[in-house]
Amino acid sequence: MKPVVSFLLQLSPQTAYGNLESVARNLSDGLEILLNYRKVKCSIFMDGPTMEMLKKTAKPLSIGKIKAGVDEGLVEFLGGGFYDPMLPLFPKDLQIRQLKKHRSKLKSFLGLEPQGYFNSSLVWEMGMISVLEECAFDYALVSEAAVREALGRNSPVSGWFTVEDQGSLMRVVPVSDELSKAIGEDDLRWREIAESYNHEEKPVVVLLDLPPQAEEIVGFFERLVDFVETNEVQTWPVSYIVNQLQPEGALSNLVSAGRKLGLPFAANTCREMLVQRPEINTLQKDLLNLFHRGKGNLQGKDLEKFYEELLPAMSPIFYRNLQDDEGMRSLKVRQWGFRYLQKAAHDLDSRMNFSGLRIDVSDFMLQGMKQIWVENPEISCLVDYNQGGILRLLNHKTPAVNLVNAWHDDGGPALFLAECLLPNEDLTAEQIGVLLAGRDRLFLEHYDYQVKRESGSAQVQLCGEQGYRVGEKQGVFLVKKELLFDNGSPRIGVAYEVANTTYQENPCYFGTLMELGLLESGEGPCIVVDGSKVKWDRREPFIYPDAKKFKVFDSSLDAAIELEFETPTPVFIGPIFSASSAAAPQMFQGIRVYPFWKSSLAASEKFECKMNMTLSKR
Amino acid sequence: MRADLIDIQIEDFGNDVEISLSGSLSKAQLSAVREKLDSLMSGPGVFFFLNLERAHFAVDEYLEMFLDLMNKTRERNSTMVLLFRNEELLEYFSRYKNIFEIHESREAYKSSGLSKQLKQVGVYYGKKTGLRLSPSVAIAAGVLIMGWLITLFLIIAAQGKDIADKQSQIMALESQRDRYVQEIDKLESSIGPLKRLGVVEDTSQLNSFGAIRDWVSYLKHLENTRREE
Repeated sequence: MKPVVSFLLQLSPQTAYGNLESVARNLSDGLEILLNYRKVKCSIFMDGPTMEMLKKTAKPLSIGKIKAGVDEGLVEFLGGGFYDPMLPLFPKDLQIRQLKKHRSKLKSFLGLEPQGYFNSSLVWEMGMISVLEECAFDYALVSEAAVREALGRNSPVSGWFTVEDQGSLMRVVPVSDELSKAIGEDDLRWREIAESYNHEEKPVVVLLDLPPQAEEIVGFFERLVDFVETNEVQTWPVSYIVNQLQPEGALSNLVSAGRKLGLPFAANTCREMLVQRPEINTLQKDLLNLFHRGKGNLQGKDLEKFYEELLPAMSPIFYRNLQDDEGMRSLKVRQWGFRYLQKAAHDLDSRMNFSGLRIDVSDFMLQGMKQIWVENPEISCLVDYNQGGILRLLNHKTPAVNLVNAWHDDGGPALFLAECLLPNEDLTAEQIGVLLAGRDRLFLEHYDYQVKRESGSAQVQLCGEQGYRVGEKQGVFLVKKELLFDNGSPRIGVAYEVANTTYQENPCYFGTLMELGLLESGEGPCIVVDGSKVKWDRREPFIYPDAKKFKVFDSSLDAAIELEFETPTPVFIGPIFSASSAAAPQMFQGIRVYPFWKSSLAASEKFECKMNMTLSKR
Repeated sequence: MRADLIDIQIEDFGNDVEISLSGSLSKAQLSAVREKLDSLMSGPGVFFFLNLERAHFAVDEYLEMFLDLMNKTRERNSTMVLLFRNEELLEYFSRYKNIFEIHESREAYKSSGLSKQLKQVGVYYGKKTGLRLSPSVAIAAGVLIMGWLITLFLIIAAQGKDIADKQSQIMALESQRDRYVQEIDKLESSIGPLKRLGVVEDTSQLNSFGAIRDWVSYLKHLENTRREE
């Protein structure tokens, strides 16, 4: 019996988008090989940017050939999101916009309306059914593992099923994980595996990633043709399954966490990513915040144009826990994601003619606790007063950068303005680096907040008791932390008052920790102290003894932060590394800056200090 | 923790401050909401817009709180405006709908009347600068200034008219002179050939006799010249 397979081709998640033109040219040549052979029928998914590039680079005859191939049923183009996002992570308005934009692009490119929906991450949730139905999709491709889970069986599943939710219906076609892997890895057992799916000559859907490197794409198509010819494989596009075969039954519930996202095996929804990785969660919440603000304040074309600005930030690369520029473990990808959002924020401000200061006390992170969002036309930041008043986000809108963008392998968020006590001992820079990375001496208790409005500015006053441990001693300090925001400048004033309410002396180093997602490029000078450039190799931590003005700048991002102290202050600076799968054990994830002050903090004594932070372009 | 369920948003645009409350507000949150609003509205600003569109009030005590806040803002010569459009809130505030300023949006309030807003801003800045005038003095001063302005305008208008008259007279005289010059030229040209033949003596050069038209004038002229001699 001939194996019956529906090949589904998609661009690999590792595709070099920086070289998309070359990818598109090779894709066009590869498709020509496939269409010339005429015996391989398959389905293809291309995201919007690839399709646009293909249209731009392909020869007129190639487009004609592709159109003819579609008409003859040799090739089927699948629909999906324009940037191929994981839909359940986003509001319905943006989901629909992604799907419709891709659909209209496909229509203008090839003059066809896609019948099937595909998402390269194979994420599925029941809430998607009504959206897909609204966008005129007949069927969707889902992971076979999810269908097996829904059916409660371990045997291979092929054909198609129905799922319904809130009165909407969708046909779902499982994609075989096992056979895709076997064919993708040239496993000789593939025929045996295929047979287990091909009952009554039902085709099995096999998902193949195109090679990420442009020069390998044509070779891939040649191998595919060769594979079909040599093994006498009967091929069909995926739509054949839905159009020609009877349904296998109905599924009451279907959920899939997706593939190649870096999620733990036990995860059953892509939303698990938001719980697991605070960096991804912060990016998504920043996007939701912009979306809700835009939706509440803009109308008509302004709103549509603003939504367009948000769409690239929904790209799956920003929601994967992967490294090597495939996901958010890479600092470059995080910077890239926030850049899209900050551009959208800047666009929103200009469309709203926003000026002045906006303070929003709400559950920004959607975790059941409030945070304070402070925004002016230059900067925005998120103050988490329930967690030591740390800043979870610090966006500078003009260079479009979020400075609180470091990564921690322990799953904790990057911290900014997190107060930390170090013991009054003779510590080396390495030792301080280890203590700060340990994060167990931080003031992370709840503060009460007060917003005090003044002319042209506002103060967020935080006050509360914070537990401490210095050496053997433990106790509670009464801490007041004040953040001063101007109506229109990228400056934040910070003032501390730490009162020792105990009857014991607590000599210590009091400081504030800042974990910045900067200096990814790793070249050139990056620190200026009191007007003089300081050399630093970005690997070994060091302490600058007395600084009145301490500036860190990233020339590739065109972003800088300057700290100005009332009195000369020692500043620690060190790198943040994370584990990587490569031979090199460390991946650069940002820098740790820790200005600190020596304090005797005798019984009932108060310690006060102040500094100003200014964000600027380089 | 129930008090922590309130969402508050503050947008500060200088004179205008918009404070939005959202969420379900029960008795448990009353003191927290009162404290937050009190603190926020004691800062600078002329118009405090309380956007309640997304708030749900579970108890009537909030009405008293808003009355209280309104009194306090009036004491500070500011205005408190409630913003909402939903039926539920209209019903909730129906008892005091004539007391509160209720509008659909900030823009709706702005277009509802310029004079009252100017007055409000005037009162606010009056307090801020320390310059205060009673209404009668303000009206008298206003009338006086207006009188001055009107008089000045009338003087300027009269002078303008006078200048225009003189200008027209000058123009008429100038055109008359031009006409005479043309006439003289015409006459001179008509007698030109006769003068060249010596038939006509040019008396126009005899200035002393130029004005003599009759015997009486001639005799007067003689008498005058003799006296001068």
